Amino acid sequence: MKIAIDKLHFTYPIGLEALKGISLVVEPGEQVAIVGQNGAGKTTLARHLNGLLKPTSGSVFIGDWETTKFSTAKLAARVGYVFQNPDEQLFSRDVVTEVSFGPRNLGYAKGKVDELVERAMALTELNGKAEANPYDLSPAWRKMVALASIIAMDTPIVIFDEPTTGQDAVNVARIAHVISELKREGRTVVVITHDIDFCAENFERVIALSQGRVLLDGSTREVLGQEDILAQTYVEPPQLTRLGKRLGLKETVTTQEEFIKSLA
Amino acid sequence: MAFVVLKNLTYLYPTSEKPVLRNLSFHIQEGEFVAVVGPNGAGKSTLCYALAGFVPHFFKGEISGEIEVNGRKSSESTLDEWVLNVGLAFQNPFNQISGAKYTVFEEIAFGLENIGVPREEMKKRVEDAMSLTGIGDLADRSPYSLSGGQQQRVALTSILVMRPRLLVLDEPTSQMDPIGAREVFGVVRKMAEEGMTVVMVEHKVEWIANFADRVIALKEGQILLEGSASEVLTSEALVENGFGVSRYTSAAREAKKKGLWKKERLPVTLDEAAEGFNLTRNA
Amino acid sequence: MNALGMYVARESGLHSLHPLTKVLLTLLFITAGLTLPGNWTGYFIVAFIVFPLAFWGRVVSNLFSATWKVSLPFAISVILIHGFFWGEGTPVFEVGILSPKWEGAIFAAISMGRIILVMSVFLLFSMTTRPDALMITLKQAGVPSSIAYIIVTTLQIAPSFQRKALTILDAQRSRGLETEGNLYIRAKALIPLILPLVLGSLMEVEERAIAIEARGFNSGKKETSLIEIPDTPLQKNIRRIVIFSIFGLIVLGVLWRL
Repeated sequence: MKIAIDKLHFTYPIGLEALKGISLVVEPGEQVAIVGQNGAGKTTLARHLNGLLKPTSGSVFIGDWETTKFSTAKLAARVGYVFQNPDEQLFSRDVVTEVSFGPRNLGYAKGKVDELVERAMALTELNGKAEANPYDLSPAWRKMVALASIIAMDTPIVIFDEPTTGQDAVNVARIAHVISELKREGRTVVVITHDIDFCAENFERVIALSQGRVLLDGSTREVLGQEDILAQTYVEPPQLTRLGKRLGLKETVTTQEEFIKSLA
Repeated sequence: MAFVVLKNLTYLYPTSEKPVLRNLSFHIQEGEFVAVVGPNGAGKSTLCYALAGFVPHFFKGEISGEIEVNGRKSSESTLDEWVLNVGLAFQNPFNQISGAKYTVFEEIAFGLENIGVPREEMKKRVEDAMSLTGIGDLADRSPYSLSGGQQQRVALTSILVMRPRLLVLDEPTSQMDPIGAREVFGVVRKMAEEGMTVVMVEHKVEWIANFADRVIALKEGQILLEGSASEVLTSEALVENGFGVSRYTSAAREAKKKGLWKKERLPVTLDEAAEGFNLTRNA
Repeated sequence: MNALGMYVARESGLHSLHPLTKVLLTLLFITAGLTLPGNWTGYFIVAFIVFPLAFWGRVVSNLFSATWKVSLPFAISVILIHGFFWGEGTPVFEVGILSPKWEGAIFAAISMGRIILVMSVFLLFSMTTRPDALMITLKQAGVPSSIAYIIVTTLQIAPSFQRKALTILDAQRSRGLETEGNLYIRAKALIPLILPLVLGSLMEVEERAIAIEARGFNSGKKETSLIEIPDTPLQKNIRRIVIFSIFGLIVLGVLWRL
């Protein structure tokens, strides 16, 4: 499902203009990372995608739905949103009930709910923990429960807000795996992240925001290669990109595979 | 005599079944900057609480072994005395805001009020600390109106201003933008140069390697490895045990298999990687 | 966000009064409203003392809207109870079994005067007194630090609590939870909204306790304060008079009623 944002402006009631004219299109099945310094407007932009915020001017379309015409609860059928802090949403006595909450709200038939929940739990490696109380799990696993509870909603678009913050390498790898599976299923993924190496390894398109505007938008390689412009929004290129530059490699590299290839 | 001494520390939370810290021993010299790395559940946060006196004084539970800072034993001290020498900032910045103050400036002064610093000295110390961590422009903002990364800087400044002899930081940069995080590492390095002893839990391997004196790798409440950043962070054992490693290290490890990395030791920092790979390219 | 009863930062004479002076004046006005004879004393004090003070404190419109919001639920219930369920009296109108009485309405109006007085005086106090200044004053007056801290953070915590509640609301709406609509829909939405809020607040309390302890909250040292709370000999004398008046009013109030 296509996301179309046109001349989006947003001003908070206290008068802070957080978005100053953003236009972009995300094609169905694209994997997009949004980067930028604290306060650049990343979260404000993401919250427009499922109608948590409505444009002050301009428009946001999710497929043929304009977000101003639908409630967030309705838009939830098209856009799943994984919040940063799982503790601000978990409330059920066990993991299965928690993960079923979203799909049940969307009104899927019982059989379909069960199927979706099972798949989401398998994807997030929660199988053994179905009966556990989410609050007895470690923070890392609570994060996976929150992920599963959104993935089970089977939305064509999934948004992740800082999925890797506070996660160790093993959990980051799990999250990367989830994202690659969503890609395989043809779902659109939009992620907000400070973790630029994670971004380089898992996304094909990067949008850098700065002070409410799009600073750069393009393929991962194109965007992450522009060290000077990225610095304006407090973002550094990935480690291997910086190394490539330092070594004077002709092409911008972002992943280990590219790096090794360009060495040989 | 080391400034921080842990001797056979074992600790069990009142509600948990197995110990979170197991027979943990290490020494830290005064003015040393030690980074602690480890997967989730390794006991990193508990170690921070133990160094800062909250384990066991606040959390209770079963403890054995000894924690010593500056020659004083935690077991023979009260928490109220302990915190005068040891400062702690932890991950969630929101819960570290006192809730009793209007502005960032006042928030940072809160701790100094508690320990009875005279007003004029207090103002000076708050200003100095804020300029050190680069948040002077936030002085009049409400701490609640800030972003997570900014709140983390406020939390760090609120502890630095108290000038603890030992500074304990549990993922203090997790919500910061990358360049902001690097700046904080720089500030902490500077504090260590000035004689403050620092223990910092972090995932950002590249900055650890650039700024810390020594690294402790923790796994299931025990020390897996301990030593200089380049020894510990390049070890094969880290990968096998689910630790995060720098991309320079993993790229060089891969390159080594193909004969594209000639040096014995793998790199952790950009400089080390550039130096090593230049050898390959010039060969 | 300017929730009910929260401090409104302004430069004014009322703001700069010593918090203790304001605490005592608050008590004086309430005592006066409850002890002085006359059914309309409450309204009188609100109109001729509280609002002029609010004018001095530059918070008239804030005070007006907050008092209105807080008093309205009371007004409705008082009018319903006394207006419609007054036994004997002159009916205002009669529709079926509904027959509100003038006597009931008047009694309701008298009661409301007292409620509005208490509300507006408290609101005026909290709008013009910085919680941290109040905290210092309370501690100077011998209230233990921990209790002073709880009082002050309770006054302060509303915005942070509200922000947390809004985040949870957003998270659950993003999971398809309908929160708008009929009573049944709203009631069903309560558990997913309230449980994370309660559990989160419990966790928050523990971390906050650690955070303030780490900043020497119980260090046992003699505390200092960043802000100065100016006091004047005049205010000290006024406070003596106010204390004397409060006791006088209580004694008089008892005597009048004997």
